[in-house]
Amino acid sequence: MTTTAERATPTTSAAPRGNPWWPSWRGVGLVTRIELTRRRPTTKGYIFYGILVAAILGLGILVAALAPPGKTSTPMELVLILVLGAGLLIAPSLSSTSINGDSSEGVLAPMQMTRLTAGDLALGKLLASWLFAVAVLITTTPLLVYAFSRSGWHWYELIAVLGAILFAVLTFTAIGLAWSALAARAVASVSLAHLTTGFLVLGTLVIYAFAMPLVSENVTVTDRYVDYGTLTPDEQEAYEAGELDYSTVQCTEQTYETSVVHTDTIAWLLLLNPVVVIGEAAPVVNPNTYEEDDRAAPGAFALMHQAVGGAQLGSQGAPLGYDECGDPNSQAWSDQWDQQQEEQALFPRNPWLGLALQAVLLVGAMGIVIRRLRVPYKKLRAGTRVA
Amino acid sequence: MEKLDEKSGATLVALPPVMSAHGVRRSFGAVHAVVDANLEVAPGTVTALIGPNGCGKTTLMLMLAGLLLPDDGEISVGGADPRKDSAAVRNAIGWMPDQLGAWDNLTCLQTLTLVGRAYRLPKAVARERGAEVLGTVHLSEFADRPARVLSRGQKQRLSLARALMNDPQVLMLDEPANGLDPRSRVELRQLVRGFAAQGRAVLVSSHVLSELDEMVDEAVFMSKGKTLGADTDAMVADARTRYRIESLDDSVLRDAFAHWDMPFEEVDGGLVIRAQNKEHAASILEALVKGGAKVHRFGPFGSALEQTYMAMNEERR
Ligand SMILES: Nc1ncnc2c1ncn2[C@@H]1O[C@H](COP(=O)(O)OP(=O)(O)O)[C@@H](O)[C@H]1O
Ligand SMILES: [Mg+2]
Repeated sequence: MTTTAERATPTTSAAPRGNPWWPSWRGVGLVTRIELTRRRPTTKGYIFYGILVAAILGLGILVAALAPPGKTSTPMELVLILVLGAGLLIAPSLSSTSINGDSSEGVLAPMQMTRLTAGDLALGKLLASWLFAVAVLITTTPLLVYAFSRSGWHWYELIAVLGAILFAVLTFTAIGLAWSALAARAVASVSLAHLTTGFLVLGTLVIYAFAMPLVSENVTVTDRYVDYGTLTPDEQEAYEAGELDYSTVQCTEQTYETSVVHTDTIAWLLLLNPVVVIGEAAPVVNPNTYEEDDRAAPGAFALMHQAVGGAQLGSQGAPLGYDECGDPNSQAWSDQWDQQQEEQALFPRNPWLGLALQAVLLVGAMGIVIRRLRVPYKKLRAGTRVA
Repeated sequence: MEKLDEKSGATLVALPPVMSAHGVRRSFGAVHAVVDANLEVAPGTVTALIGPNGCGKTTLMLMLAGLLLPDDGEISVGGADPRKDSAAVRNAIGWMPDQLGAWDNLTCLQTLTLVGRAYRLPKAVARERGAEVLGTVHLSEFADRPARVLSRGQKQRLSLARALMNDPQVLMLDEPANGLDPRSRVELRQLVRGFAAQGRAVLVSSHVLSELDEMVDEAVFMSKGKTLGADTDAMVADARTRYRIESLDDSVLRDAFAHWDMPFEEVDGGLVIRAQNKEHAASILEALVKGGAKVHRFGPFGSALEQTYMAMNEERR
């Protein structure tokens, strides 16, 4: 047994204690590298990638060319939304087969046997899938730079929105990874990943729409108008010519029931939507003073912010009735409209609720992944083997 | 365990088992994969884990490797308990799974280098060791080919190379001979023996029993989730004493054995006797030849493990 003693001291570092799970820079970096190398796109993959980027660039350039000269934020917003959409498609698709796929290929367990911890594997796989989406963003940089120069945004505003986009993609990538740690089969985890994305992007809107009747209230609105039947022929003539002195004639009132929706109680549903979060991270544009403010006219994000702002404000009491006698030109009504528009557009930005939800989902998903990747396994994914 | 003490007590007193399992149990829902497993593997020895399909060999190995938690029982590998110091257990083991899997896009050398780095070897060391291990499994010429072009047997050897990357104390091979050509099997046997000669332990499960015969020191038989203890050890020991004799005229042999009052069995084209050890066998042969028997064949009767396996008489699952 002399050989045992003589054997070169193992080149690996000292025996580890316990069963650590926490990630290390080195481990995460290594797993990321492994994942990026082995999931290097095939020729078909590159073609798909090329088509996707070409579509984004093409649409962006088209919109930029068609836009009237001067400041416009629409091309940039379009590119940003497309990058978000591509990211939400690509990265979760990759991550949602990353664990159960590896396991059925027989390459997961040998990795778990090494010194890599569950945290290393989880974060490395997350980063690798996410970086494929980041690559899409990077390839659109030239167009984005041009579109930005016309957008009237400040650079830090663009950074904030890009950050929000990448964070949303990261969250949904993590959710895909969690599904792949939970479901035995790739088909199941891929569809569950996309369903989760779809639920947050569309489902919140649908639930919002269905919740509206629940928070609506009936109110009585009073319209006042000239009682044509009581006018003298002279007055009728003057009325038709638009020269009637309203103070001298008799007005009638008519009341009717209508419903107002107290959207302020359900606006949080909209704020959970990841696309709304991006809009809320974008700069606020004042629809009345944007030219003096050196901005482009409100674009898609500003309009979305205004709509969401309106929802958060909700209906404040019954709407104004039409008052032909007191305000024949509907000045008050129009003033109120303008005021509301501005109030909604300038409503404080609120990405925080959505970001908080995403942070919770991200941390929760990674918690699931790490727990599921820790060996020795107590419970296995139903219907799978370790090896 | 008794069987080890009995067989080669002298060395074992000095060397406590590097890996042991006592009363290990594991079920998957209603399937009781391992019911009661006991085994000890001493350093410097090769132990075989033998049993029909589905008897729980892989499950037992997974528990020993620190990948699967036993429901009950005690396991110790290199002094560490996989329940508590699972990382240390995994670090001490080189595990070759029965499921072949490799990173398709990476070359053999890249694969091994990355595995080495996963074992925290510095990059250059990992690369060097990867190349060395590729040589050990005779895959050097495939170092720069992607793993996806390898044949089954070559993938098997790559998998073995991966198990060797961390210079393990214990090597666990789950059906390593599947898909290997005869030459690779011989090389595998040499590798395993060489590994044991360095004072390390090997646990190997296999169905190719005749191969195992020449490679293993100990055999643990398993059936329906249970390791069979002393009974099968006695059967193996007994089977190892059996010699088959073929001669031009068997009647001379029969007379000789009758004269010596020595029991024998008739088998196809020969007789089978029991010799206590090599010296005894040699003296029997000498006496037979001197007595005029025209012996043209004299040797162990088939594979001891195979005989025991067949005699185990337990049906497959
Ligand atoms: N993950 C699992 N889930 C359910 N049953 C399993 C699982 N792994 C193994 N089994 C069952 O346990 C038994 C033992 O399996 P295994 O250890 O792979 O056998 P062997 O390697 O000896 O052929 C088999 O009946 C098998 O079907
Ligand atoms: Mg097996």
